[in-house]
Amino acid sequence: MSRQLASFKLHLRAVATGLKYLFLPNRITVYYPEEYIELPEGYRGLIRYYPDRCIQCGLCAMICPASAMKMYRTKTDRKGRPGINYQRCIFCGFCVDICPQNALETTKVHDVAYKSLEEMILPPEKFSQEPISPAVAGGARKLKPVFDEERGLRHERV
Amino acid sequence: MSTLSEQGGVIYSRLIAREGDESTYELFIGPQHPASGHMRFIVRLEGDVIVSVDPDIGYVHRTMEKLAEGREVIKSIPLLERMTIIDSHNVTLGLVRAIEKLLDVEPPPRARYLRTLLSEINRIASHLYGMGIAGIMLNHSTMFMWAFGDREVWLQLAEELTGARLTHTYSIPGGVRRDLPQGFADKAEKAVRYMERRLKDYMAVFFENPQVRARYEGVGVLKKSEASRLGIVGPNLRASGIKYDARLAEDYAAYSELEFEVPTHEEGDAMARMLVRIEEIKQSMNIIRQILRKIPDGSILADKYVRLLPPPLREQVAKTGRVKFPGIFATLKLPEGDAVSRVEMGHGEIFYHVTGNGSTKPYRLRVVTPSFRNVILFRYLAPGHRFMDFPAIYGSLDYFPPEADR
Repeated sequence: MSRQLASFKLHLRAVATGLKYLFLPNRITVYYPEEYIELPEGYRGLIRYYPDRCIQCGLCAMICPASAMKMYRTKTDRKGRPGINYQRCIFCGFCVDICPQNALETTKVHDVAYKSLEEMILPPEKFSQEPISPAVAGGARKLKPVFDEERGLRHERV
Repeated sequence: MSTLSEQGGVIYSRLIAREGDESTYELFIGPQHPASGHMRFIVRLEGDVIVSVDPDIGYVHRTMEKLAEGREVIKSIPLLERMTIIDSHNVTLGLVRAIEKLLDVEPPPRARYLRTLLSEINRIASHLYGMGIAGIMLNHSTMFMWAFGDREVWLQLAEELTGARLTHTYSIPGGVRRDLPQGFADKAEKAVRYMERRLKDYMAVFFENPQVRARYEGVGVLKKSEASRLGIVGPNLRASGIKYDARLAEDYAAYSELEFEVPTHEEGDAMARMLVRIEEIKQSMNIIRQILRKIPDGSILADKYVRLLPPPLREQVAKTGRVKFPGIFATLKLPEGDAVSRVEMGHGEIFYHVTGNGSTKPYRLRVVTPSFRNVILFRYLAPGHRFMDFPAIYGSLDYFPPEADR
């Protein structure tokens, strides 16, 4: 009988714990694209190319593990300049880290849904433009993740 | 149950499955099934009792070892990371250590501590993933939602440290890529305190819930002798009472300088396997606290490679805490020779063997993953149980198919 009583208590405790979170839920849902989370400093998102710093060494294309980056050569420019294919990119950031001139930089934009496959291939000219997040451009509210002892992760409006 | 023969503690399930016999019923579970997926079990049943289970693996085999042999050695780090995406630092740390042994380079102390830090964050996230999947296998959606939601806290920490949620690509030969960001210790402390509180809720709602205990206790018992005979690794081994952990056996990262316990249980049943994971999460949080207290100052990349950077870049690395690679990294030459290394992942011990032949690509790269070593357990643990116990055993093993298949 005492075993059953102990078991009953544990049942009650499980139900009570569940009920506690029914009334005080611990939700972390973010309604993208009406809201978006601000990514931390140093996040490895879409990459931006600065052509004026580039010395056309080709190290970025050499180290790319996914063959996403390649040098676009022309008749007048035999050394070429890097372009990126976001169909292949795995966002490891090796190209950014090996660039001796800081001509490549990671940005905090990571909205990688595109309307067509062709849009995902960026030749050097397009690669050197600032990447735009459609959510931010559409006026989404910025949220900041905050660590909390009680709730774990909270998303605060900035 | 009567048809099971037991000799010397070994259940020879295959021998007694009478194929073609009308009394055995053959059930094919998978490769698309509502649990973790990508694999098939061929289960033979007599009535409701499992006679034999054959795990049919290989549905997500991607020839990773061969692919790694065809590319420059540094490119194998992001490649092999995809083997166990939920535990991606632990899975590549073994590879990086093997490469370091071949290249004869040692990471500086601060880099070793940072490696340990991310490894432990990964271990917690990996255990939470396993516990969530185990929960949903018992139809306990609450456990699934809670574990996956709380995993997000640890992914956020890893993201702030490395710049990516899952594919951290953090360790490189000679060190790590990023230094601790500002205010990280404070955030980690909050995450640890939150998790300690949540583990109590987990106990109340799942692990001490009589309904769950009834499903787990005494189910899928793995004897000590069986565990060592079958070469089981990780929490599954420790739940059978064998205190073996690659963090103790192999001195890597900063584990020899930190104090931690290796939790073991004697029962060897599904409950013990789950409880070992809970205790390991507590130990990991203890390790994280120690690291943040003890972490030494200094460089995060070996001097051998820092020296190759031009002076302005060297200053930039010291200022920003973000490593720049020397140009040599694109074509690192592996000297002739062999190197082996082992590392403790969330699922168990992972073993790497890398052979160099003086070229930029590894001549041979082989890996033995913990899930591959543990998959045999399905065959030995399930026979004799009712079919409803099968998901309980599956969940408690924390089996990860992409890791086993490579």
